[in-house]
Amino acid sequence: MNEKKRFFPRSTGRLESRLYLPLLFCVLSSNAAWCEEDLAQEKVDFNRDIRPILSDNCFQCHGPDAASREADLRLDVEEDAKLDRGGYSVITPGKSAESEFVSRIRSADERELMPPPEIHKPLSPREIELLARWIDEGVDWSMAWAYVPPVRHAIPEVSHHEWPTNWIDRFILSRLEKEGLQPAGEADRVTLIRRLSFDLVGLPPTPEEVAQFVDDDRPDAYERLVDRLLASPHFGERMAIYWLDLVRYADTVGYHGDQTQNIWPYRDYVIHAFNTNKPFDEFTKEQLAGDLLDNSSIDTQIASGYNRLLQTTHEGGAQRKEYRAIYMADRVRNISQVWMGATVGCAQCHDHKFDPYTARDFYTLGAFFADLDDEIHLHTPAEDLSTLPTIRKPEIEVLSILQRERLVQCEDEIRKLEGSPEDAKVEQRKKEIETIKAAPGLTMIAKQCEPRVVRVLSRGDWMDDSGEVVGPAVPTFLSSIPLADGRRATRIDLANWLTDTDDGVGRLTARVMVNRWWALMFGRGIASVLDDFGGQGQPPVHPELLDQLAVEFLESGWDVKQMVRVIALSSTYRQSSIAPKELRDRDPYNELLARQSRFRVPAEVVRDTALRVSGLLQDEIGGPSVKPYQPAGHYRHLNFPAREYEHDTNEQQWRRGLYVHWQRQFLHPMLRAFDAPTREECTASRSRSNTALAALTLLNDPTFVEASRTFAERILAGAESQSERMEYAFRWATSRAPTEDEARVLKELLEKSRAYYESHPEEAKQAMTTGLRKVGDEVDQVDLAAWANVARAILNLGETTMRN
Amino acid sequence: MVSPTRQSSGTQPNFPEIWQVGLSREKTMNNPFSHLQTDAHRRTFLKASGVGLGATALSALLAGDGFAAPQQGIPGLPGLPHFAARAKRVIFLCMAGGPSHLDTFDEKPKLRELDGQPMPASVTAGQPIAQLQGKELRVLGPIRKFGKYGKNGQTISDFLPWHREIADDICIFKSMVTEQINHDPAHTFMNTGSAISGRASMGAWINYGLGCETRDLPGFIVLTSVSSANPQPIASRQWSAGFLPSRYQGVQFNSTGVPVHYVKTPRGVPDRLQHQVVGSVQQLDQLRHQQVANPELLTRIAAYETAFRMQTSVPELIDMSGEPQHVLDLYGATPGDGSYASNCLLARRLAERGVRFIQLYHRGWDHHGSLNKNMTTCCKLTDKPTYALITDLKQRGMLDDTLVVWGGEFGRTPMSQGDKGETAGRDHHIAGFSMWMAGGGVQGGISVGATDEFGYHAVEDIVNVRDLHATMLHLMGIDHHRFSVPFQGLDMRLTGVKPAKVVRESLA
Repeated sequence: MNEKKRFFPRSTGRLESRLYLPLLFCVLSSNAAWCEEDLAQEKVDFNRDIRPILSDNCFQCHGPDAASREADLRLDVEEDAKLDRGGYSVITPGKSAESEFVSRIRSADERELMPPPEIHKPLSPREIELLARWIDEGVDWSMAWAYVPPVRHAIPEVSHHEWPTNWIDRFILSRLEKEGLQPAGEADRVTLIRRLSFDLVGLPPTPEEVAQFVDDDRPDAYERLVDRLLASPHFGERMAIYWLDLVRYADTVGYHGDQTQNIWPYRDYVIHAFNTNKPFDEFTKEQLAGDLLDNSSIDTQIASGYNRLLQTTHEGGAQRKEYRAIYMADRVRNISQVWMGATVGCAQCHDHKFDPYTARDFYTLGAFFADLDDEIHLHTPAEDLSTLPTIRKPEIEVLSILQRERLVQCEDEIRKLEGSPEDAKVEQRKKEIETIKAAPGLTMIAKQCEPRVVRVLSRGDWMDDSGEVVGPAVPTFLSSIPLADGRRATRIDLANWLTDTDDGVGRLTARVMVNRWWALMFGRGIASVLDDFGGQGQPPVHPELLDQLAVEFLESGWDVKQMVRVIALSSTYRQSSIAPKELRDRDPYNELLARQSRFRVPAEVVRDTALRVSGLLQDEIGGPSVKPYQPAGHYRHLNFPAREYEHDTNEQQWRRGLYVHWQRQFLHPMLRAFDAPTREECTASRSRSNTALAALTLLNDPTFVEASRTFAERILAGAESQSERMEYAFRWATSRAPTEDEARVLKELLEKSRAYYESHPEEAKQAMTTGLRKVGDEVDQVDLAAWANVARAILNLGETTMRN
Repeated sequence: MVSPTRQSSGTQPNFPEIWQVGLSREKTMNNPFSHLQTDAHRRTFLKASGVGLGATALSALLAGDGFAAPQQGIPGLPGLPHFAARAKRVIFLCMAGGPSHLDTFDEKPKLRELDGQPMPASVTAGQPIAQLQGKELRVLGPIRKFGKYGKNGQTISDFLPWHREIADDICIFKSMVTEQINHDPAHTFMNTGSAISGRASMGAWINYGLGCETRDLPGFIVLTSVSSANPQPIASRQWSAGFLPSRYQGVQFNSTGVPVHYVKTPRGVPDRLQHQVVGSVQQLDQLRHQQVANPELLTRIAAYETAFRMQTSVPELIDMSGEPQHVLDLYGATPGDGSYASNCLLARRLAERGVRFIQLYHRGWDHHGSLNKNMTTCCKLTDKPTYALITDLKQRGMLDDTLVVWGGEFGRTPMSQGDKGETAGRDHHIAGFSMWMAGGGVQGGISVGATDEFGYHAVEDIVNVRDLHATMLHLMGIDHHRFSVPFQGLDMRLTGVKPAKVVRESLA
């Protein structure tokens, strides 16, 4: 192994990942002859095989960035590469031997060799061979896949006619057949309902729901289940978990003192939007420009809070001009990652090195946000900002959409109950109405002001006033926004451009988004890098399927539920995740999808699962953020002002994870241990770690300890005999009965625990004191404490929080 | 990727999913961390973490896989270090808030001369300014005397009497520059090489590259000290793993109370029952693995083992009862008080136990006013313990392979902030300030670089933060050019994209 391979995993990884898969497998295989044969058969594809090599190794000096361009040569532009340079061309189609390009990458002379040794990016022999073959084959050149709008493709023919349920399956199956692979069989019903419940509502199914589905012998039982879950109000919560990561939603400002800010009604808006299946183009417009729309309403204003989600500083001595530049860059990074699947942020200091975005594009995109009245905190004395919540005007006082809907519900219920003997219930509802009305929340919104002057900042230097003044515009290589009478483009124009399928990049946006809906259902996208479709990202493994999904998304009218539904109904989705070792070895990342994937559920859902299984979960939708138990001193590094965390002391304690107060600098340690992001920047895919800190959290965090002992109460009440109780408990957590071996392990734990508490009844009492929940005197605490350990072991099982 | 995994695939089975799910940031095919997915890596990992796991699940599992005796430590990247390392571990003493270089190591007679006079506009023109924006700029002379100490006569102010004793151990960088003038981004820049959130901090980088010599404790530990008035807020971003796998992130140790979040067993659960619970979880995960062949479950079994061991190793670590009185006196430490002194002693204990990167924060150095009073307080809290740490490491023969770094996120202005006299302070300053390094591979008793006569601009042998990082990596045996990870389309480096150099003058 040479050194390069060790330190630049990518440069070798690229070869396998971007080459056509047969090639990948032959690298894996020890059968070299087969490998050679395959290489020879497959014509080199520019976007799949060549562009990634050029991008990673050459564009740095021969790419879009004019400032760092060497030898006046661009290898990202076909004409330039083929240009006659007085008797020779860098690339001569069909003739690798005559191409300067090839002689330079093959040169034995270090002074001639490309890429130059000092940039530490040597090409592998295979890469060199591919490049040469590409030239010999005539230099096929095409636009980067990410900028070619998706089109409808012919649904492929397959030989295994029984397997496909819908068109998705034919794309997948035709590829599998080409590879000589079989799809996995359909997962059993227990697995299916667990998978669907985690994916669509972010909660495990109850044993009753499992039994109903398993026993449902109607032919459309599965479809009914999908539709029930899509109609659940928890669907919006599950989707919000993802969306809030993308837009970096948090309850605090992020920098320095990390003071709290008012924004939770925006979260309610997002949940509601997914629940009511708001078309994604509207969803986009309301967030980017809800304050400017003709039909602007309270709710679109709340949605416009998107523009305020960035990190802000409330530190003394912050220079307004510097933070103007920082905020603008933050917004450009976010909008480009969320909607364009692009890293335009890289063009802050220079033209993008790998994609055709220029530094000017960066600043013109930023200029769309120059009208945001968002600087009050930058000219408020720091001591006045050291309040909780801090000053983040403009804000409005609102009831969130979910609160207003709840009011209507309560009023309806009261009307229905009137005259009935259920006075108590009427009173309850009346009280709820009063409570809601009494406490409207503040929320940050977008508000227009006179647009600030935006200059192109040379090298990103905010002190440099010499750059060109620019107005709002979209990246020039993509298209432009037609404007009558020199009108200044607005955030509405930007939102329209992002979703317009004719004059804008709506078709590209659709592809970026469907890839993410797909990733939620399979654990990875068809294109694996969810926020970078650029030259340094990964081309899709099933490009035609991705295109087709994008087209369907558009033709459905940006109907998110419809897309989730069609994916959920596919046979591809329904496959078992259990695969023979052979297949796991051959396709370790499950790119071909000859099986389903398995992965731990998101941090919030880890919490929700324990609460749901124990019976503690308070599953009402929406409202202000909540504060679960948190280790003392977790905020001790915060200051301006110093902070004491006070956890909720009522049933708010047991709300779902997505409502947990999101302190950017010190996110709740449970969420952090399970890889929830701090939301300082856009997160399109979370890592999934498996660490000792996560184990300690599940074992010892009071939330899980309290859930365990409450789960024990449920177990004792739910079944009589010891073995029935084991089964009952296991079914709640894993949706299945334990095997004999499993029951034996639990029995041993139960007996040892019971023996201990029988001789230490005081300890049993102690074991019931973690958390708010009270245990009645009538309960046998020794028994309960013993079962609480069994319950805790069950909640700690890998299977309990594994979606497969 | 690949490369290790796939190349060995001819002879050994692949277990890719264990790390795919376990570690990666979903980049999968282009997963930069898939070298961790090698069979060998998994074996070492399981093998080493298998110690102490009851009789059943794991031992059976290990036997089945033909594992041999346990091994200490977590391996780093294959091929690292690039060359012989001079230091095995780092203790980074962060004086958060930004200590005044002009009152510690950088003596400027010119300022004394001009004390109270207007600052020459030529010096400050076009420079970024923090809280002094729009204010009249007047010179504030050094408020204490300086002396020359050690063999080569290092310049040290009277604020730091104990530093005289280690003058021959430290290499003072007097020409530091940074790019960020506000605390939060300046810390982020110092720790990650970028002011943009989401990048990996140096402790995470070093653990990622070199692994760790212990499995009983995290490889990157952060200690913060109870300090004086208005302590600087410090975000957990400062010890984030960023785009690296999250197991490389720093773990905060609480200086008082429970040392690590959730390390304490629940009320009413004695250790042996806790062990029983952990063992049951491991056995059940193992049984499940037999049914569904999910290697993630094996990783989990190992994680539970480490978790259980941390429940023992952490209390043992913070139990200072075995430290003799003369050592406590050397530091001036009262165990459990959360002071900087106690943390310095704890840092030594962590270093002894094989922790790779220890970062220790004292948060009291933002002296916009009452410079004399505040410097007195902060120096009193930190000067002697810092000396004690160096001395103690030296006595134990550990200074030779421990790199100690001292400094803030920036320095302070030669201009006065606030009124004259006792209430005068200094504002944030980024164009020139001082830091020092000592220990493994560092040339002690010298200083590198210089600022101009106003202590404003670094003018000689300028050392920017990237150079500091490059030098630290170099001492750890890493060539910063060749230490990168692909993220968002770039090859990310701790030293970033702009040029960075090893400060050769500082090397022994």
